[in-house]
Amino acid sequence: MPGNRPKLAAITTVYRKHSHTQHIVDRYLEGYGWNGTHHHPEMDLIALYVDQVGADDLSRDRATRFPAMKIYPTIREALTCGTSKLAVDGVVVVGEHGDYAKTPKGQVQYPRYRFFEEIAAVFRSSGRSVPMFNDKHLSWNWEWARKMYDTSKELGFAYMAGSSLAVTWRIPPVEFPADARVREALCICYGGVDSYDFHGLETIQCMVERRKGGETGVKWLQAYRGEKFWDACRDNVWPRELMNAALCRSHTLTPARAGFNDIFPSFDQMRRLAKDPVAYRYEHSDGLKCTMMLMNGLVRDFNFAAHLEGGVKPFSTQMYLPMPDGRATMANFFSPLCNNMEKMFLSGKPTYPIERTLLTTGLTAAGVDSLYAGQVRVDTPHLAIEYRAPAESTYWRT
Amino acid sequence: MAPKLTRRTFLETATAVPALAQARVRPKRIAIVATIFRLQSHAQHIGDRFIVGYPFAGEWHKPNTQVVSMYVDQKPANDLSGDRARDFGFEVYPTIAGAMCCGGSRLAVDAVLIIGEHGEYPRNEKGQVLYPRYEFFDQVAKVFEAGGRAVPVYNDKALSYSFEKARTMRDTARRLKFPMLAGSSLPVTWRLPELELPLGCEIDDALMVGTGGSDAMDFHALEAMQCMLERRKGGERGVKSVQLIEGDAVWQAGEQGRWSKDLLRSALSRSDNLKGLTETDGRTQDMVGTGVLPTLVKDPWAYFIEYRDGLKATLLMLTDAVGDFNFAVKLKGQAEIQATQFFLSPDPNVTYSACLASKIERMIETGVAPYAVERTLLVSGILESCLDSRVKGHALVETPHLAVAYQAPRESQFCRS
Repeated sequence: MPGNRPKLAAITTVYRKHSHTQHIVDRYLEGYGWNGTHHHPEMDLIALYVDQVGADDLSRDRATRFPAMKIYPTIREALTCGTSKLAVDGVVVVGEHGDYAKTPKGQVQYPRYRFFEEIAAVFRSSGRSVPMFNDKHLSWNWEWARKMYDTSKELGFAYMAGSSLAVTWRIPPVEFPADARVREALCICYGGVDSYDFHGLETIQCMVERRKGGETGVKWLQAYRGEKFWDACRDNVWPRELMNAALCRSHTLTPARAGFNDIFPSFDQMRRLAKDPVAYRYEHSDGLKCTMMLMNGLVRDFNFAAHLEGGVKPFSTQMYLPMPDGRATMANFFSPLCNNMEKMFLSGKPTYPIERTLLTTGLTAAGVDSLYAGQVRVDTPHLAIEYRAPAESTYWRT
Repeated sequence: MAPKLTRRTFLETATAVPALAQARVRPKRIAIVATIFRLQSHAQHIGDRFIVGYPFAGEWHKPNTQVVSMYVDQKPANDLSGDRARDFGFEVYPTIAGAMCCGGSRLAVDAVLIIGEHGEYPRNEKGQVLYPRYEFFDQVAKVFEAGGRAVPVYNDKALSYSFEKARTMRDTARRLKFPMLAGSSLPVTWRLPELELPLGCEIDDALMVGTGGSDAMDFHALEAMQCMLERRKGGERGVKSVQLIEGDAVWQAGEQGRWSKDLLRSALSRSDNLKGLTETDGRTQDMVGTGVLPTLVKDPWAYFIEYRDGLKATLLMLTDAVGDFNFAVKLKGQAEIQATQFFLSPDPNVTYSACLASKIERMIETGVAPYAVERTLLVSGILESCLDSRVKGHALVETPHLAVAYQAPRESQFCRS
């Protein structure tokens, strides 16, 4: 029934081609391929706020083509649709991309916390809260992220966040066995610090959170970069066998020898190919050790491997992103992300816990801190975050 | 009850020998017979997997094989065969017989890979590139006959541009009793999602949408569709007629219900590579719903295939609209259309050919082809007859010669580990 369709507001930084906002909001407006049909979400995105409108802006084009969606000059007006009270049933926050200042540590100060605070103010003044999705990590600032989480609990609204990596296709399509005992896990991926490192951390976390005993939080983290990365690699600070398994899941392994298209690199060849590599090594409270590696120049995809107790060989898969950098034209990994949000907006219940992203938000900030402090080990007592993985798998396989 | 010893469990048991014993197993000696061996040519990216190994099931798998000889028909400036031979200790011979016999007078290899894709060869009036696969195969078979011994043969892609030649190849393999595997990577690559039709299913309608020119990419699309349809009830019994139409007639046929818009919408919903407005501003599109296809696609081709058991299937090559290969099917008695993408993993690794290499390796190891060469024989013939239809003014072409019958493998063959 049309009357029962949830109404959504999207609060965004910038709406240009291939920005996260374009990928996410377009899927609500245009629909997207899902379960073998062109799916239109059973809800209406009626209000949009865009923080930065540049020459390449698409929001005006979208509002013209989809007149049911109105653009508002403030977050409050978007949420209230110009009235005095909250007038939507769900909020999508996309604070990725756009021109924002960097911190001295190199973090882009995307205004997710500011957006959240303004939204929460409307919730409070309206005496009513509605489900919210926050794209990527909660904030570059741990204290703010923690406050966002606490406020969501205080106001009691359904809150989801995070990356597509947790929900996209896996090649092969395998789920981390529930209640597995796991000693070591790692992800080899690419991209920058305070950017794709978060995706690599979510890649690991969406798997290992299913281990026996559930998530217990993280005790410490140490970053390695450049020469220190290679020293650690040579000293087997993390298992080489898992690196090899992860690299064998890649589709974009740079050929180490001219004239070959797919050849496994030696250690020295890896060292020549991977430019300024970064690793975040961290230990969970229950003893599990994980390593997230950015190896630019060696791969352009996200590959996971873990040592499971009782397993003969490493457990491994690729979290597959059809990337619109020439490999695809559509970033369809946003389709399962939107689909999970939709489920929350329809049911009022998150399909996976916000605590996952709270933890990976804290790990991202800890990684940045460790690098900034000269690659020292940083204790993370604030990341004693416990939660249970959802019983049901939420990655894309239909 | 004791577990039944199937061929698979036997092989698993048989391969679970101690490492020491395994190390003593002599590597299978392989000859590669290629049109050209340059970077990213089929011969290079498939052949190298038997030289340096390939990623498989989460490991860098080193087949117990040794490429001992090569024949390369064309050696342009970017030829790599000489480098490979020098680096890996084998010879490039000036003749196919020389490669098969490693310069001696008798067959000296355990398997032959014929990879006749890429290289400069003329096209015939149907637009087919005249790759000399039949001629290569014929020379291979002559060595087998002369020595009274034959070994497994893999033939990349279509058997031949000519069905008559293709059938002769299959018949020769039968007569000389050697296992033969052929075809494209598409039937064995990853599927997004993992759709496999139940063996013995009943199919109402099927459609494939693909990209690229003829006759290169249409073969891949037709073979991908065939590997799904061959699983239907009664098994494959061959094709009754085909027709290829072009241009506005393709859209008119859609309006008339000759191909299903619902199936096309479903197939396109699996694409990661829609073109047009998606390239302009990134948007997702329901191209069937918006009606954009006739203005977007300059040169659509539709291949209609009617099977002898009554099944009708369609391939649409819509290069201006889509950049990948997607299949949709409606099974009898099911309301939902099912669809999947045959995933062609990106450059440079093109790991889909690792999926294919594992099938070739299995044939070399076991002496049994994991799926029937008749699939590739039939698809070779379907494509030739479709192109015949085109040169005959897009007429319907009866295809009594395509009464090719075979059974699909019981076990799924696409990559899922």
